[in-house]
Amino acid sequence: MGDLLVFCLSGLVSGALYALLATGLVLSYSASGLFNFAHGATAYLCALTFYELHSGLGWPAVPAALLVVAVLAPGLGWGLDRLMFRKLARVGETAQIVATIGLLVALPALGLWAVELLAAARAPVEPAENQFGLPGVGPSPAKAWQLADGVGIDSDQLITWVVTAVVAAALWVLLRHTRLGLRLRASVDNRSLTELRGISADRLSSVAWMIASALAGLAGVLATPLLGLSAHDFTLFLFVSATAAVIGRFASVPLAFAGGLGLGVLQNLVAGYASFAEDITGFRTAVPFLILFAGLLVLTRRQRTAGTAASDTAPPDHLAGASWARRWGVWAAAAVLLGIAFHTVTTPFWSGLLAQGLAVGLVFMSFTVVTGLGAMVSLAQATFVTGAALVAGLLMSRGWPFAAALVAGAAAAAVLGALVALPALRLGGRALALATLALAFLADQVLFQLRWLRNGDSGWAVPRPVIGPVDLSDDRAFGLALVVVVSLVAAGLAALRNSPAGRAVLAVRSAPAAAMASGVSVLRTKLLLFTLSAGLAGFGGVLYASFNTRITATDFTAMTGLVWLAVVVAAGVRRPQYAVVAGLVFAVLPQLMSDYVTESAHLPVVLFGLAGLALANDPDGYCAAIPVRRARRAAATAPAGPSPTPPLPEPVTTPRTPPARTGPGAEPGTGPRAQPGTGLGAQPGGGPGAEPRTGTGAQPRTGPEAQPRGGPGAQPRTGTGAQPRTGPEAQPRRGPGAQPRTGTGAQPQGEPGAQPRTGTGAQPRGGSGAEPGTGLGAEPRGGPGAQPRGGPEAQPRTGAGAQPRGGPGAETPDSGRGGVGNGSAQRDGGPTALELCGIRAGYDGGVVLHGVDLAVRPGEVLALLGPNGAGKTTACRVAAGLLPAQAGTVRIGGRDATRDGAVGRSRAGVLLAPEGRGIFPALSIEENLALFLTDAQARAAVYDRFPRLAERRTVAAGSLSGGEQQMLALAPLLQRPPGVLIADEPSLGLAPRVVDEVYALLGELRAAGTALLLVEEKAAEILGLADTVAFLSQGRLSWCGPRAEVEPDRLTEAYLGIATGGNP
Amino acid sequence: MLRPIRILAAAAAALALVSACNSASGSSSGGGSGAPGGGAGGVRGVTPTTVKVGGIVSMTSAGGYSKKDTDLGARARYLRANAEGGVHGRKIEYLGAEDDGQDPGKNMAAARKLVQQDKVFAVAPMSSVTFSGADFLEQEKVPTFGWGTLPSFCGPKYIYGFNGCLVPSPGGTLNQTWPEGIATVLGGARGKSVAVIANDSDAGKFGIRTFRTGFAAAGFDVAYAKASVPATAVPSDWSAYVKDILASNGGRAPDAVVSVMQTPNNIGLFTALKRAGYQGLLSDPTDYDPGLLAKDATRQALDGVHVLLQFEPFESTSPAMERFKADIKAANGGRDVPLNMHMLTGYMSADLFVSIAQKAGKDLTVESFQAAAQSFSDTGTLVGDRSEPKGQKDSFGCGALVQLRNGRYEVSVPFMCHPPIPFQ
Repeated sequence: MGDLLVFCLSGLVSGALYALLATGLVLSYSASGLFNFAHGATAYLCALTFYELHSGLGWPAVPAALLVVAVLAPGLGWGLDRLMFRKLARVGETAQIVATIGLLVALPALGLWAVELLAAARAPVEPAENQFGLPGVGPSPAKAWQLADGVGIDSDQLITWVVTAVVAAALWVLLRHTRLGLRLRASVDNRSLTELRGISADRLSSVAWMIASALAGLAGVLATPLLGLSAHDFTLFLFVSATAAVIGRFASVPLAFAGGLGLGVLQNLVAGYASFAEDITGFRTAVPFLILFAGLLVLTRRQRTAGTAASDTAPPDHLAGASWARRWGVWAAAAVLLGIAFHTVTTPFWSGLLAQGLAVGLVFMSFTVVTGLGAMVSLAQATFVTGAALVAGLLMSRGWPFAAALVAGAAAAAVLGALVALPALRLGGRALALATLALAFLADQVLFQLRWLRNGDSGWAVPRPVIGPVDLSDDRAFGLALVVVVSLVAAGLAALRNSPAGRAVLAVRSAPAAAMASGVSVLRTKLLLFTLSAGLAGFGGVLYASFNTRITATDFTAMTGLVWLAVVVAAGVRRPQYAVVAGLVFAVLPQLMSDYVTESAHLPVVLFGLAGLALANDPDGYCAAIPVRRARRAAATAPAGPSPTPPLPEPVTTPRTPPARTGPGAEPGTGPRAQPGTGLGAQPGGGPGAEPRTGTGAQPRTGPEAQPRGGPGAQPRTGTGAQPRTGPEAQPRRGPGAQPRTGTGAQPQGEPGAQPRTGTGAQPRGGSGAEPGTGLGAEPRGGPGAQPRGGPEAQPRTGAGAQPRGGPGAETPDSGRGGVGNGSAQRDGGPTALELCGIRAGYDGGVVLHGVDLAVRPGEVLALLGPNGAGKTTACRVAAGLLPAQAGTVRIGGRDATRDGAVGRSRAGVLLAPEGRGIFPALSIEENLALFLTDAQARAAVYDRFPRLAERRTVAAGSLSGGEQQMLALAPLLQRPPGVLIADEPSLGLAPRVVDEVYALLGELRAAGTALLLVEEKAAEILGLADTVAFLSQGRLSWCGPRAEVEPDRLTEAYLGIATGGNP
Repeated sequence: MLRPIRILAAAAAALALVSACNSASGSSSGGGSGAPGGGAGGVRGVTPTTVKVGGIVSMTSAGGYSKKDTDLGARARYLRANAEGGVHGRKIEYLGAEDDGQDPGKNMAAARKLVQQDKVFAVAPMSSVTFSGADFLEQEKVPTFGWGTLPSFCGPKYIYGFNGCLVPSPGGTLNQTWPEGIATVLGGARGKSVAVIANDSDAGKFGIRTFRTGFAAAGFDVAYAKASVPATAVPSDWSAYVKDILASNGGRAPDAVVSVMQTPNNIGLFTALKRAGYQGLLSDPTDYDPGLLAKDATRQALDGVHVLLQFEPFESTSPAMERFKADIKAANGGRDVPLNMHMLTGYMSADLFVSIAQKAGKDLTVESFQAAAQSFSDTGTLVGDRSEPKGQKDSFGCGALVQLRNGRYEVSVPFMCHPPIPFQ
C-alpha cells in the first residue's frame, strides 16, 4: 500500500507537467480548432530562453522565469496566432496538422540558430547544448525531504506541484469568475454564436493562444531540471500529454487537467507493476503511447458524418481538362534531362545526392496517396519504410534475390499499413494523425526492438541490385533506374486518381455519407488507400535502403516521419511529381545551403519547417503556388463562356411559373458572376408580373440570345442579366458596387411590365398603390439609400445592360427588388433597419442565394418562408455576417455594412438567433444571460419574468427543454431589445403551446421597436405575426408582399415547390 | 501551350547550369570520378606535400547533445603532427568535421561529401550515434577512425576504433575492466552482489547480457539484471526501480549498483537510490565529464559514483597525458579549456591514423596504409596497448575507474589492461 502511495505521489510530478501542457492544448484547440503539434516545441523554446537568461545572462531565476512565462511565451502565442493560426483555422485540416508539425521542427531550430547568432555576435550566451542537472526555478541542487520511510520529495517536485496547483486555481478563477473567462468558455462552447453576440472570437482566440503559450512556457521552465534542453524530449513529452487532451475530448479544461495528473500516476503504476511484460522489450518504454492509442480509440467521438458538408474537399484542380502535354510535358522533359544529366554532367557526389533525392521522392509519393488523395494524415510512413527495408534485408541475408525481397518488403509494409489502419481508420483528421503517430512510436519501441528483425545495431545489408547486365552499384546507373521507376510510379498514381477507384476515394474524402449512400464502402476504400500507401512507402524504403546499402532499425524513426510530412506537404501532395520535387529539395537543399549560404545546420531545418507556414496561403503547396495563382487569375479575367447548359425554354408565360429559375444545374455553368444579375432581374418581379421575368434568371445567363425569346417584359431583364455576367464588368459588382443593378435598370422594366410590377410594389405594404410601386423602384435609387449603389461600378453595368436593349431603363432590376422592404420603407419614409440588396451567397463551389433582396424596418416583422433548402438559413447567415455575400449589399440602418463580420453586425444591433437554439449549452443559465446582460438587475428582471429560469439558474443550459432553451435565448433580448432580430426557425421542434409563447415574445420585441426577420418553414403561426411575407425558393424570392395578400395556393406553391420546379 | 514550354526551358536551363557547375567544380579539384582509392593518376587526397583528412562528428542533434569537442581533439593532434614536420614530409590538411546531427541521412551525406567532393584520403575522427556512411566508406576504401561504439567498427577492413571495437559479439571477447575494477574497489568479488540496470530497448538488453556474463565471470553474484527503464523519456520518478533494486539481494540491497544508461537516467537513479538510503557502490560508464562538475545539481547527484573509462584519466600525470593537455591548449588558441572525453576521442582517433600513416612510409597509398595497419602495434598510449587488426574485432581491454568526490574526480582504480574473457 505504501508503494502505491509513493507511486501515486511521485507520478503527480510528471502528471502536473502533462496537465499544464494538455490544458494549453485544449485551450488553443478550442480557440481555433487547431491541434498544436508544436506545443512541446514552444515549451522547449521557453526552457531554452529561461536557461539563457538565467545561466547565460546571469539573471536571477524567478524574474527570468516570470519574464518567460508572463511576457515572452504569451507574446509568442500572440504572434503565432496572428501570423499563422488564425489563417490556418480557415484551411483544411491536413494543412493545419502539417503546418504545426512544420512549426514543431522549425521552432527549436530557430531558437538554436538564434543562440548561435548571438554567440557569434559575442553576446554572453551559453551554448544551447543539452546538459544535465540544469537549474530550475528552485534551489539547485534540489533540496530533498524524507516524509516517511521511502516517501520523499524534493524542492523541484514541490515547486512543480505548488505552481501547478496555483495555476489550476488561477485558471479556474479566470474561467469561472471573470468576464473574459465567461467569454472564453462561451467561444469554446459555440464559437460562431459568440460572434453573433458581438464578441470577437478572433480576439478571444488570441487570448487563448497567449494563455496556452504561457502554460507551455511554464511547463518548459518547470521541466528544465527534468528534461534538460532536448527539443526531442519536450516533443515526446507533449505527445504523451496529448493523451490527456484526448481525455478532455479537446474541449474540457478540467478533464484534461485531471487526465494529465492521472496519466502521470498511471504511467508510474505501470512502471512499478509491469513486471509481467519484462519479456517484451520496449513495453515499458511504449506505455505512454499505448495509453495514447487506447485513449484515442476509446474516447474519440465518432465523427458525425451526416450533415457534414465536406470533411476535406480536394481543392480545385487548375489543370483539370488540360492536355497531356500541358500536364506532363514539363515533367517528362525534366525526367529525360535528369536521366541524361546522370551520365553526362553531374559529378559522382551530385549523382549520389540526386539519386538519394529520387529515392526519398519515391517514399514521399506514398504521401501523395494517403494525404493527397485520401486527405488522411499518416505519421507512420517512416515505420513502413523501416519495416519493409528490415524485412527485405532479413530475406536477402537468407539469400533471396533483390527483386523478391523488394516485393516481400513492400508487401510486409502493406500488411503493416493495413494493421495500423484497421483500428485507426474510423478516427479522422487529427485523431488519425495522433493514432498513427502513437503506432509509429510503438513500432520503434517494440516491433523494431525484436532482435531477429533488427539484427542489433548493425542492421542488415541491402546490397544494390544487379539485373542481368545492369549493375546498379554505380550511383549513376542507380539514379537512372530510379528516374524510370519514379516516372512509372508517378504515371501509375495519376492513372489511379483518374480511375473509378480514384473517384471513389475522392467521394469518400469529400462526403463520406454520400459515398456510402452511393454504395462506396468508406472503410474499405480508406483501408485500401492506406495499405497502398504503406506498400508504396515500403517499396521506396527498400530502394532507399539499397541506395544506402544498409538498413538499421534507427535509420528512419517516427520523428523522421514528421519531418518528411512537413517537407512533402509543403511542396504539395496533389500530384506525385511534387513529391519527387520535395525529395530532391530535401536531399539537395541542405548541401546548397551549406555551400553557399551558411554552415549552420539549423537554417535548412528552419526553412523546411517554415515551409509549412506557407500552407496557410497555399494549401496546395509551393510547387503549385504559382500555376494555381495564375490559373485563378486567368479564370477571373476570362470572359465567362457561353453557359454549358442550353438556354432554357422561355418561361415568361405565367407569373407563377418562373421558369427563370433554371435550377441549380444551370448556375454552375453560368459562372458565379452571373447570378447577381439574375437575382436582380428576379426580384424586381416582386410583383406578380415581375416574377416571371425575375424567375427568368436562367435566361440572363444564357446570354444575349435569350432576349428574343423573352416576352416584352422579359427581354429587358434578360438582357440585363446576361450581359453583366458575360462582360468583364461583372467583377466590379462583387465589390460594394454590387448594386450596380440598382442603377438605372429599374425603369425600363417598369415600362413594359410596369403594371404588374407597380402593383406589386405597392401592395406589399398595402400602401399607396401603383405609383409608389414604380416609385419604389425608382425612388430608392434616388433616395439616400440608393446613391451608394449608384457608384461608379453601377455605370458599366448599366451601360452594358442598357445598350443591348436600347431601352434606357431596361434594367428594372431594382424595382423588383424594392418589393417588400423598399416599398414599405419608402412609404413611411423611415430608414430600413436591415436591408439586403441583390445578395448572392453560397458555400464553396455552390451558390445558394441568387440575388435576394429583403428589407425590414423597425417595429415590423418580415416573415421569410420557404421549403427546405430554399436558402433561408443562408440568408440569415448573410444578414448576420456569418457568411460573406459574394455580391450585393447589406445595410444596417441605411449604413453599408456588407464588409462587417458577425461581430460588427452584432455590435450594430443585428442579432441572429440561429437555427436550433441560440444558447451555450455548457454554460449555466446565469452565465448565458450574463453574456448578453452584464447588469445583474437586468438579469433579475428576466428571472422575474421567467420564474422557471430563475429556479434553475445554475443548471447547464443544455439540460433545459427545447422550449426553455428558446426562451433563454430570447428572454434577455426583452431587457435590451436589439435593433434587428433575425430568428431562424424559432419554432423548430417546439410544442404548439411553446410556439405561442415564443411568438408572444417576438411580438413584444416588435412592440419595443425591434425589426424582426423571422424565418420559418411552417407558415401557419407566423402569418399571424408578420407584416410582410416573402417566399424564398431555390435561392430566389418568388413572391413578396403584405401578409394580407398571401393566397393559400401561393403557400402551397411555396411548400410543395410547384412554383419552383419548372425546369427540364 | 506557351507557358509550359517556357517553364520547361527554364527548368532545363537551371538543371543544366547546376549540373555544369558541379562538373566544373568537380573537375577543377582534380582527381577523376570513379577511381576509389586512387589509381594511376595519384592517390585520392594525397599529394607529395599534403594528405587530406576529414571528420564526421555530431556537432548538433535533436536531443541537444553535442560531441563537437571531438573536432578540437583531432585538430590538436594534427597540429602537433604538422608541427613535427608532418607524416613523412606530408602536412596533414584537416578539413574539419562535418556535422551529421546524429541523423543517418546526414551521416551518409557527410561521408559522400568527404570522399566524392572533398576527396579525402581518410576520415578521422568519426564520432556519432549512427554510422550509416560506414558501408560507403568501406566500399570506397577510405581508412576511417573513430569511437568504436557502433557495430560498423567491428569487422570492416578500413574502419578502426581508436580503442578497438567496443561492441562485443558472440564468439568474440568481453572487456573485463569494469567488473575487475569494481572488484578492486570492493576488495574482491567473492560473495559480493551486484545489480545491473539498463534501458528497455534491444541495445539495453544486449548490454545486460554482456555485463551479466562479465560480472559473473569476475566472481560477482548478479542479483539484479534488468533492461527496464523506458528508453525514450527519462522517468521523473524512480521509486519503482529503486524499490526493486533495494530488495533484489534476497530482500537486501546489493553491494554495487551498475547502470549502463546515459547521464540523465543515472542522475535520476542515483539520486533516488541515495535518498532511499542506499550506501553501496554506484557505478556507470558515461559520466566522466568535467562539465558535470560545473553544476551543483549534477555534482551532488553523482557524488561518490565510480565512473568507468577506457582511457587514461585526465587526472593522470603521465607524459602522454601532459602532452595531450598541452596540445589541446595549443589548438584552443592557447586558452585553457575543461577537458572531456570527446576531445580524447578526437585526439586518439587522429593519433591512430597518424601512427599507422607513419608506419606506412613515404609511399602513402590506401594499399600501403592497409598493409601497415595489418601489423600495427604500439604500447603505452592514452588508451593502452594498441594492435591491429585485433582492434577491429575486440577492444584493447584497458581502462580505469575514477570516483567523483567533493567536486572532483579521483582515480579509484588506475588505468590498466585486463585479459578479456570469451563471450558466447
